[in-house]
Amino acid sequence: MGTISVHGGDPAAAAQPGEPPEAVDGFARLSVILTGFEQYELLGTGMLMPYYDELMRIIGAREAGALLGAFSGVADGDDEAFRRVILDSPRFGPVARNVTMMWYLGTWTQLPRAWRNTFGATAYDTDHVVSAAAYREGLVWPAAGTHPMSAKQPGFGSWARPPAGAGS
Amino acid sequence: MTGDRHDGDRHDVVIVGGGFAGAAVAKTLADTGGKRILVLEAGRGTGMSAGKYASHVEAFQASLVNTPNTPYPNNPNAPQADVLDIRQILGQPAPGQPPRSVTDTSGYLVQTGPLPFQSDYTRALGGTSLHWLGTCLRMLPNDFELHRRYGQGVDWPFGYDELRPYYERAETDIIGVAASVTGQHYPGIDDQEYFGRYQYPMHEIPASYLDRVLARKLDGRNITVGGQDYPVRMSSTPAGRNSVPRNGYAPVGAPGNPQLGERCEGNTNCIPICPVQAKYSSLKTWYELMRRHPGDQPPTPARSSVTIVPQAVATKVELDEHGRVSGITYQTYDDEAVAPAPDPRTARGTIYVLAANAIENATLLLASGVANSSGMVGRHLMDHPLILTWGLMPEPVWGFRGPLSTSGLEMFRDGPFREHTSAFRIEVGNEGWNFSAGAPTSTVRAMVGRGRYGPELRRALGEVIPRQFRLGLEMEQIPEASNYVTIDRAYRDQLGGYRPVIRYDLPDYVRSGFAMAKEASDAMYALLGVPPLDPDQDRDAFPYPGDYTSYQPTDPGYVTYGEAGYTFQGAGHLAGTHRMGSSPRTSVTDPRQRTWDHDNLYLVGCGNMPTVGTSNPSLTMTALAVWAGENIAADLGGQS
Repeated sequence: MGTISVHGGDPAAAAQPGEPPEAVDGFARLSVILTGFEQYELLGTGMLMPYYDELMRIIGAREAGALLGAFSGVADGDDEAFRRVILDSPRFGPVARNVTMMWYLGTWTQLPRAWRNTFGATAYDTDHVVSAAAYREGLVWPAAGTHPMSAKQPGFGSWARPPAGAGS
Repeated sequence: MTGDRHDGDRHDVVIVGGGFAGAAVAKTLADTGGKRILVLEAGRGTGMSAGKYASHVEAFQASLVNTPNTPYPNNPNAPQADVLDIRQILGQPAPGQPPRSVTDTSGYLVQTGPLPFQSDYTRALGGTSLHWLGTCLRMLPNDFELHRRYGQGVDWPFGYDELRPYYERAETDIIGVAASVTGQHYPGIDDQEYFGRYQYPMHEIPASYLDRVLARKLDGRNITVGGQDYPVRMSSTPAGRNSVPRNGYAPVGAPGNPQLGERCEGNTNCIPICPVQAKYSSLKTWYELMRRHPGDQPPTPARSSVTIVPQAVATKVELDEHGRVSGITYQTYDDEAVAPAPDPRTARGTIYVLAANAIENATLLLASGVANSSGMVGRHLMDHPLILTWGLMPEPVWGFRGPLSTSGLEMFRDGPFREHTSAFRIEVGNEGWNFSAGAPTSTVRAMVGRGRYGPELRRALGEVIPRQFRLGLEMEQIPEASNYVTIDRAYRDQLGGYRPVIRYDLPDYVRSGFAMAKEASDAMYALLGVPPLDPDQDRDAFPYPGDYTSYQPTDPGYVTYGEAGYTFQGAGHLAGTHRMGSSPRTSVTDPRQRTWDHDNLYLVGCGNMPTVGTSNPSLTMTALAVWAGENIAADLGGQS
């Protein structure tokens, strides 16, 4: 993984001032591990940059930088280290779970009280849907073999059979 | 549009309310030609523009909650009941205590309990047809004779056979219903007698994969409920959703965008909004009327003139010295957030029709002091109180696909048990645990909260969500004078209009229906291979198969019957508040749906229904409204 440029075809995103591409690459790599979706699938949602920006906006560059910095020290495929350094960390674990839910649902969930009191709350850290597009691109829908309710409709009568590609 | 004044004009008919019933009356009348019709709609007309309709879809998608009114913002100048406002009401006021001490005023509806009334409605052009499910069941013949046959409630002033031709017109001329006569199965019903030689305008909506799994496992089996055996059979649900047409019928697409929505496309979002408008809403009828009977042109013998005025809130029905209605006073507004400066206008016509829904019609009548010599206005408020059961199947059933419901289990819609227990129908939901437990959001949160991530999370969601299913068990509520809508000068909205004040409870007749329905659900779960979940089991580990149904005493709709508790919800089927009858002492309208008290005032909508049976009432309301339109045309003909 990691060979696809996240900025390919999206010069506007690359042109964001002061945004080192490595950080976004790191966020993409982290997202792959958290979601279980391949990087090309995540890029295909068009939500990588919006979610990166949303994370920056909500927890700030210091916390986001610390998370991605800690993550960059975890070797690819080292699940034990990922759990220990990221998921079990009181600082990074809650954020990582929120990023996971953001990808799956398109919504941000307010961080736990203990996290907010220790690492700093922002006014943006509220329960909210990132955008209507984020809802439509939620990963839970393809994971469940379906389409987002109200969008990407599969067509008349499609519901009479299991979804295309269903194993059973 | 709102700046236009219509108080100088004289109309043949003035209709209050731009929803289901108003549209059916207006179309029936307009198609007779030569009529001047004015429609006053309290809410906005946003949905009539194809582009602006899409804003409702985006508003839904960008919202954290999914309720029937999520796409339709509240409008303080025409406020609406909303399920998010429902609270548990702790008790009835004690004697001598002011009612305010326990009354819940947090929403638009003022709820005095003891139970909360849990249904909502939408105030915008299109009304609650904007967010209905689309179910188009007819009532059963025995539903019209509940008192004569079972000693409960009251009888209708006419029977099924008399309403049947209007059902056909509602199905074909107004809504556009997809169904087959042979795919529906009701207790004691002979297809030939019930439908005659009839075909719906469109073929039935295909059954969902879940429906097919249930049919394979349940059809032909018997379950024992209350000591009686009942044969189980899945029944295709008639739907106001576009499907493959029969006999040259042309499915009606989205207003202003007719190529969109000619078929149901499986958005799995009938409630709260069909993005492609393959599901009927009265916007389609209003759009047709605006094109065929334009309000800016005078009527001709072949053409009527229909003027729709949104943002016009009816505030009073005015009477002349002879007790006839002389006008409808209304107030317009530019900005929903701001109360307008008082500038009352009066709409005048020959005949007046209130089509504002069972609660708004009742409050308007009470506020005006009209049509209530019987004292029945506002009384007999009914709904279809429903409980849900939900579980995980042994195999994937692939929910969250297709329209929200395509089939039901109808064997409890009639039977001798109606002497003591509510009849009910069982709706099969195609949306997993969305309605019952907030899935898929709740499922993702539970799994991530337990530390799942990566491929394991993806795989677990793919294993659990496609196994989710639910049943909706919907009771017939009988009419009781003690369930009512009233008004109180202490409770007003921003415009100064009366807010509905509601007293609501469920009798044992309905509660025993919950118990019977839950017993039926348990018996079917056993046939499906879905066992009760061990109470000590960690539910968030999602062991399957299992019955995950859970009713908590903290739920707003928690009720008990015997030892057991149930959480009921509203079905959005408000009815009964100005019922029809054959006596002016016990009913508000005569069988022609004209008020007994005022010979130029008609009431339409579910408020006219003396009882509600077990069918979702929109189709019956539409059939009745077509009939009312015919009666009004006859009255006008007699006068000209």
